[in-house]
Amino acid sequence: MTTDDLVIRLARDAGPVRRGAVGRRLGLGIAAGAVVSAMLLILWLGPRDDLGTAVQRASYWIKWGYTLSLSAAALALTVQLARPDSDRLRGLWLTAIPVVLLAVVGLLELANTPRSDWMAMWLGRTWMACPWLVLLFAIPIFGGLLWSFRRLAPTRLRAAGAAAGFTAGAFAASVYCLHCPEVSAIFVLTWYSLGILLATLLGSVLGPRLLRW
Amino acid sequence: MRIDEEVLRGLMVDGLDGDVAAHATLLHRLVPLLRGFYRRRMRGADDDVEDLVQETLIAVHTRRSTYDRDRTFGAWLFAIARYKMIDQFRRGARLQPLDGLEDQLVTAGFEDDVTARIDMDELLATLPDKQSRMIRATRLQGLSVAEAAQAGGIGESDVKVSVHRGLKTLMARVHGARR
Repeated sequence: MTTDDLVIRLARDAGPVRRGAVGRRLGLGIAAGAVVSAMLLILWLGPRDDLGTAVQRASYWIKWGYTLSLSAAALALTVQLARPDSDRLRGLWLTAIPVVLLAVVGLLELANTPRSDWMAMWLGRTWMACPWLVLLFAIPIFGGLLWSFRRLAPTRLRAAGAAAGFTAGAFAASVYCLHCPEVSAIFVLTWYSLGILLATLLGSVLGPRLLRW
Repeated sequence: MRIDEEVLRGLMVDGLDGDVAAHATLLHRLVPLLRGFYRRRMRGADDDVEDLVQETLIAVHTRRSTYDRDRTFGAWLFAIARYKMIDQFRRGARLQPLDGLEDQLVTAGFEDDVTARIDMDELLATLPDKQSRMIRATRLQGLSVAEAAQAGGIGESDVKVSVHRGLKTLMARVHGARR
């Protein structure tokens, strides 16, 4: 096909594009993936038995606040890296805010807890499973993001993959909150973050292969 | 590269707002722009240039939602064009045992270096032995005049004179060859 023919054919279907289309497309992919993850969690692990009373306690909201604010920061990075001209990343430092805040809460908790209980507080009952479950629930969300990226234009594939993995991990952690019975801030800070980090690493490895266009 | 940023950006924004004619005009205008961009970078290979132009047009069209109306159009366009070119290099590189663009670039530079050195060797061979040795020592190996004098077992002023005469002869020869 000659280039002129191509131009004519391309120009034939050009629907309007609204502002914020990139964010909406990413949001759609994440939502689809998160629904799958939530279904998986509910059918396989089941929501925590005391979910009704847990949502009345601060520990639950601290946990959710942490994962949701990380999700927002991760999404902001992904939106930028989904565009071709993403030379300078803005707002990377925003990621540090929830981490620092949760660390402060964790230190306060530690200060109010006898030293002999610190280990139990840090490891909880599920530290071995938590990072892996976060990573597992991140997979459907990452899949949803891959779908989103099919119409987007990342040029830094490794960074974009890492951002997508980070976003998937953070949203997966938010989903996992529905099941996870742990309450301590240092547990969340360590094991949730580790799961999110694993998802980020996986994304950075897969990015150059899966995000090409 | 000079492009008419304001005009192209206007067309792009109108196209995004649903103006099909503006979008068609934009794509038409991008064709010569992209051809120029790739020709300057791909030397020769006109088929490759045309492939890249088409691929970039398709990308500009199908991924136009990634253009942020508040940012420069040129930066967006050429980021896509550059990505497509690098992608093309990578695809080509996968057919060879070499992996990655860096290797290829290093190899290409190496070839130039080798060719340049062969030219230099031929030229130096036409000079008297002492002059070519001294030019080699001071200009190619990077020795100081004193070091070259010591290595060659001659006086410092002798080194300077040899280098000066040799270079003068070479200069005359190269200019002569060009004329």
